[in-house]
This record gives sequence, C-alpha cells and structure tokens, in this order.
Amino acid sequence: MDATHRYTAPDAVARYRGRALLAGADFLVAGVVLAYTLGSYAGYGGFVQVFRSYLVGFFFCTGIAVGSLAWLSLGHMTGGAWALTSRRLFEAATRTLPFCLVLFIPVVVSLFVHEGGRSLYEWTDAARVAGDEALKHKQPYLNIPFFVVRGVIYFAAWFFLANLLNRWSAEQDTTGDPRLRRKMQDISGVVILVVGLTATFAAFDWGMSLEPHWFSTIYGLIVLSGWGLSALAFVITVATFLRHHEPMNDAYQPLHFHDWGKLLLTLVMLYAYFAFSQFLITWAGNLPEEIPFYLRRLHGGWQAVGLAIILFHFALPFALLLSRQRKREPSRLRRVAILMLFMRVFDLVFFFAPSVHAGGEAEFGARDLLTNFVPMFSMALGVGGIWLWYYFGQLQTRPLLPLGAPELEEAIAAAAEHH
Amino acid sequence: MERFDDPYDDTRIHVTPAVIEPGHTFDSVTDKISALVLRKRTPLGWWVGLAASFVLTNMMLGTIIYLVFTGIGIWGNNQPVGWAFDIINFVWWIGIGHAGTLISAILLLLRQQWRTSINRFAEAMTLFAVACAGLFPLLHTGRPWLAYWLFPYPNTMGIQPQFRSPLMWDVFAVSTYATVSALFWYTGLVPDLATLRDRARSKFGRVVFGMMSLGWRGSARHWARYEVVYLLLAGISTPLVLSVHTIVSFDFAIGIIPGWHTPIFPPYFVAGAIYAGFAMVLTLIIPLRKFYGLEDFITDRHLRNAGKVMLATGLLVAYGYMSEAFIAWYSANKYEQFMMLNRFVGPYAFYYWSLITCNVIVPQLIWIRRVRHSHVMLFVVAMFVNVGMWLERFIIIPISLHRDFLPSSWGMYAPTIFDFTMFFGTIGFFFFLMFLFIRFLPVISIFEMRTMVPEAQIKEEA
Repeated sequence: MDATHRYTAPDAVARYRGRALLAGADFLVAGVVLAYTLGSYAGYGGFVQVFRSYLVGFFFCTGIAVGSLAWLSLGHMTGGAWALTSRRLFEAATRTLPFCLVLFIPVVVSLFVHEGGRSLYEWTDAARVAGDEALKHKQPYLNIPFFVVRGVIYFAAWFFLANLLNRWSAEQDTTGDPRLRRKMQDISGVVILVVGLTATFAAFDWGMSLEPHWFSTIYGLIVLSGWGLSALAFVITVATFLRHHEPMNDAYQPLHFHDWGKLLLTLVMLYAYFAFSQFLITWAGNLPEEIPFYLRRLHGGWQAVGLAIILFHFALPFALLLSRQRKREPSRLRRVAILMLFMRVFDLVFFFAPSVHAGGEAEFGARDLLTNFVPMFSMALGVGGIWLWYYFGQLQTRPLLPLGAPELEEAIAAAAEHH
Repeated sequence: MERFDDPYDDTRIHVTPAVIEPGHTFDSVTDKISALVLRKRTPLGWWVGLAASFVLTNMMLGTIIYLVFTGIGIWGNNQPVGWAFDIINFVWWIGIGHAGTLISAILLLLRQQWRTSINRFAEAMTLFAVACAGLFPLLHTGRPWLAYWLFPYPNTMGIQPQFRSPLMWDVFAVSTYATVSALFWYTGLVPDLATLRDRARSKFGRVVFGMMSLGWRGSARHWARYEVVYLLLAGISTPLVLSVHTIVSFDFAIGIIPGWHTPIFPPYFVAGAIYAGFAMVLTLIIPLRKFYGLEDFITDRHLRNAGKVMLATGLLVAYGYMSEAFIAWYSANKYEQFMMLNRFVGPYAFYYWSLITCNVIVPQLIWIRRVRHSHVMLFVVAMFVNVGMWLERFIIIPISLHRDFLPSSWGMYAPTIFDFTMFFGTIGFFFFLMFLFIRFLPVISIFEMRTMVPEAQIKEEA
C-alpha cells in the first residue's frame, strides 16, 4: 500500500451526490402529489396517505443508518477483512443519524393530522381511543408526548454511540494508537445491546402501532433483521459503485465481496426465518387479536404481494447467493444487492399499507395496490435520494479506508485465498 | 489463518492465536491424546466417576421398568398439567446438544480455529444428550413399544400420523438430528481410530480399532474424499442447529395457551438451546482439562470464547423474556396479562425469579474481564445457566398450564419421586456415556490438532 495514499472519495461521488438530491426532490414532490391525489381518490384521506407513504421512506432510510451502526459494532467485535474494508461505508451511514432525526419531524407532525375520522396512527385519535377498551389500556404507552420522547431517546442513544465509534475511528487514522482498536471493540458489545433494545421499541412505535390492536413478540426482530439487511445491501451497492473508480478499484478484493455476499445470504435467510415464524404461529393459532394482520394481507390481490415477497425477498436471492462465483463478482453481487433494496421497500409497503383499514373498515382490495405502491415507492425514492445526498456528503469527509488500522495493509492485499 | 481476532493482543497481530500452547510437535500431540486411550492404567478417579454414574443409570433403568409396568401415572403430570418433567427434560437435553452441532458445523464453516480441540468432545455431548432427550417423549407415549406408530409407514390400521401436528415434525426433526450428528461424529473419528489402531499395543485393541477405522490408510485419496464428506456433513448439520429447536418451540407456540403461543418462540428457543449447550460445554471441559492435563490443547482462549458465546446467547434469551413481558401487557389481552402476572407473583413466582437470577443476572458477570479469565468463575456461571435453562422450561411448560382460561380447571403441579429418579437418572446415564467415551475414544481430534502445531504452518513462510 502506498503509505501516502489517502483513499479519498472519487469525484464521481460528488457528481452523483448532486444527481441524488435532484432525483430525490423530484420523486419527493411526485410522491406527495401522488399520495394526496390517490389517497383522496381511494378515500383514505389525502394528507394521511401522504404521511403513510412518507413513513415508508423514513423507516427505510433510518433503518439503513441504524442497521449500519449494528454492522459497524459487529465488525469491531469480530474483526476480519470484510469489517475493515466496509467500515468507512457503514460509518458514513451512521453519521446520517442527525439527518434521520430531521426526517423524523414529519412523522411527529403526522400525529396531529386527522382527516375525516382517519389518522395515520389510529391511537392518536382521542375519539377512537375513548370508545375502545384496548386502546385505552395502551394509552400509557401509546400517547403523543411519550411517543415523541421515546423517538428522541432512540435517536440520542444511536447518535451518542455512533459518534463515539466515528470519533475513535478518525482518531485512529491520525494517531494509529493501538488502544483505540480495543476501545472500539469493547464499546461494541454495548452498542449491539442498546441498538437491539431501542430498535425493537422503535419498531413497535413506528411500525407495529400502525395497527394498534395487533401485537407480535417477534416484530422487533423482524424489523431489526430487515434494517440489517437494508444496510448491508446498501453498503454492498456503494462498494460495487466505488470499485469502478480510483482509488478503490485496487482496494476491494473478490474475497471482501465474497464475505459480504455470505453475510447477505445469512441475513436473507434470517429475515425469512423471523417472518415465517410470525406467519406460521399466527396462522396456526388463528386468534381474533392476531390473525387480522394476515387477513388484511391475504385477500383482495394482496396475497400476490405476499407471494412475491416469498419469491423475490427470499427464494430468488437465496438461490442466487448460493453461487460462490456470484458472490465474488461485484457486478453480479450488485444486482442481488439492488434487488434486496427494492424488495425491502416492497416489504415495507406490505407491512405498512394495509394499516389503512386497521380500524376494521372495508376489506383491502386490488385497487389499493396501485394507490399504495405508487406513492410509497415514489416517496421511498424521494426520501432515499435526499438521504443519499447527505450520505455521499458524509462519505467525502473521510478516507474510504481506516488508514490507522494496523491490519489494513493485509486486509486489502490481493491476498492468497485461504479456502 | 486467522490473524485479527485475538482481542487481548493489540500489538502482535501476526501471531497465531493461542489455540494450542507453544512447544508442541506432531508427535507430542499424537502421543498426548492417544495416551489417554491406550495407556494401561486407568486412573482411580475415572473408576469412581464411572461407578457413581452407573448407579444413577441403574436408577433410571429401574424407573423405566417400573414405569413401563405401571404406566405414566407414576409421574406427577395429570390434569390440568399434562406436560411437565417429561417435556421439560426433553427440551433441556435437546437444547444442550445444540452447542455440539454449532461448534462442529457452524464454527467449521466460519473457519474458527478455536473449535478444533473441543469439537469432538462437544459432538459426543450432543449425541449423549439427544439419547437422553429421546427417552422422555418415547416413554411419555405410555406404550413405547408402539412408538413406531409415529412414523408414516403403510399399515393395516388405515391411519396416518397427523402431519399438521408439530409433535409429528418433532419425530422427524429429532431423528434426523440424531442420525446426522452420529454420522458427523463418527466420520470425524475415522482418521483418529486408524491412529489408535496403529499405536495400540494389544491385539484386541488393534482388531477393534482396526474394524472401527473402516480400512483407513491415510492415503491422499482418502483425505481428499474425507474433506469433501466432512464439509458436506457440516453443511447438512448447519440448518439443524436452527431447525430442531425451532420445531421444538412449535410444540408449544402452535397451541393457543398463553405463555406458549407467541411468535418469538423459535429464535428464542434456538438462542436458549445454544446458551444451555455452551454452559454444559464449560461445565464439562473445565474439570476435564484439569484432571487430564489437557490445558495445552483446551486453552484459556477456548474457555473465554465459550463464555462470550454464552453471554451473547444469554442476552438474546433475556431479550425474549423482555419482549414476552412487554407484549403481554401491550396485548390488552387479560389472559396474556394474567399469565405474566402469575409468573411474577403466582404460586411458582420463586422459580420465575430464580430463573431470572440464573439466566439473566448472574451471567452478566461475564462482561467483567476477570470473570471471563477465571475458570472457577466461568464454571460457577455455567452451573447457574444449567439450572436456569432447566427452570426456563419449567416456567414455560407446567406454569402456563396450571392456570388456564377457566379458574374452575386450575390446579397445582408437583413432581413425584419418580420424576426426579428419571431426571437424575438420565444425568447419570449422560455421564456414564461420557466416562466411557473419555476412556475409549480420543476426546480431542488428534489429526486436526496436528494441523495447529507450528510444523503445520510452514507453508505460510514459504
């Protein structure tokens, strides 16, 4: 390795940064307009639908940031070349957390938006809560001030821990102090613990409480593994992009992609395992509080969405990622990673959209596919584009590899294969 | 070769992690491990241990005879608690087996070299634990001689097993698990059995080890095929680590009893199984390495890593408890809430809080470096976890059953003396098999340990 090489972000990042912002803004505007029009037309409240669609984008981007924090600490704990070479990409994603807090503001606003008896979160509607024993019972937890306070606490915890890891990692670049490695490793156990707990409750708050009568003990794990999956697929995509440009074309080795591909396969399986556990146990129990969640999602055309998730969120990537060759070739691995990012949004739509009728109104139908998928994808691209602009900005601020890490040279050497 | 993963070594990053103490050669490794089997004099302590476990084994056999002649009414389970010690012990033993499979299969695929000296031992533990586990549902059928009815075979009765029942899936899961574990273990043993054959001094030893080693000559072709088979078996075993305990959890979660029916059960059971398994690994290897002087092969690093795995899986289990408790309240379902309240302050509250102490509070000590490095402390924590994981199944199974939806059908559960003789009998049986294994087969994989010594690393320098 050239000792003076700084591994700064290529100019392409700056170029794509601007494009991401522009595309993001376009999609965001289109998403707002589409959500409002289609939402009003479908009769679930234009503004409410704007916020519901926005939630998909917020949840997706924040998920990448929080998932990256988990990967970052996992990497510090286990060590290995895959962790070193992806560290800066994950770190940059964790530095978007303050931006995600800004993205959280519209979610807070949504708590106050009621339109013709409809709200994004049913429990924010005082009239509904008053007439519903279960919602009254949950009020000590599901109420606006506590929801906001909890949200701020999650972000504060994530930001605090991400900041420590980022600071020490930057310090390592300049000083090369070997004790920093130990410090990062020691704090990582705590990070995993805190992220596990906060992300679980964030999932309960932002996702599960969209259908406030429904509950599932595994929901936190489903969301957590989904966030981990999005973060990994995102970082793989970024790495395959950077690989086309100086200076990273020499740094990333097939071995790194191979390891990331293996981790991606693991996460694909883990997510399917959690999601299937929830489905099988709910379906077999068939209890009135639990089964409506799947009844809403297995009728009126939505069963096709569920089937598509089984096929393209699990079966196809599983089959593709079994191939050793595909994992080692960045251009082929990238296609799987992009598929996973797409399917993550797809899956979020499946999870969030049917909450429109959580109040128990008319059944969800095929028409609702269009009125949900179109604005939600547009909004995910919109929020995602703007988030990407911020992410690329963060990526430019530091070397793309942890220069002070003593194992770096060995990790990026075109090493002899060890298996 | 792993280079980055010794957390206690900040400067010398190119040093091979201490999975074997320095100074060993191919010969010394072979001598030391095979001597445990081939030596003439058997240590007195071994005889004492074997005798004690043999007594307990006979207690189990006596219980089984009495049970078969009398019926399962000799146990304490009855309405409303139809499942108790039999299923608790089944789940407990099956769980313990999981660490063996994780160590031998998953850690192999993850290229974790520290697994090498403990895999043989852990796999044996898996087999013996599965044997103990299998006894319980078999006897709980009441007529174990008709247990083959559980299999779907063409029969004149015109009936088939209920394929929608997870109990049925359990039959397939556990029998697959037992088969694959046995194959994996034996395949790994073959090269070492040949070593013993070549080194045995008695004719009897040469003949027996010769037959068991299946004609192994150690030729390059043998090794090439061996490597492929071993890797394939590892691949087949890997999903079993997840699937077996997932299906065990379905035994409960598919039902609609509060305390049983909850979607987090599959991952929570799997984590609990690995947790219990690593606790049992530590319980066994800490004394073993001491009494047999195996400190060179089973190093501090092994114990530390096993401790860390125990801590991590223990935290997952704690997460399960937290999620269950929170959702019980959040569900606004009075049966769910009552179930949780009954655990907290009901007649068996003492056991619930003991469970929390053993499984959640005490293991947090492993965060402390000094505890991780102290063998005595690790052993003590592991014992707490052994007890805690048994209590966990006790809390889930009888405590959820004893007070169900209808107060008029409530009841209390108490085990009988035969529940205990059966349970402790299987512990004796487990140790009986363990003692025989330690005496007659190499407890550490000789040929894999040979790859750990510096002589084997020469190609790195070339």
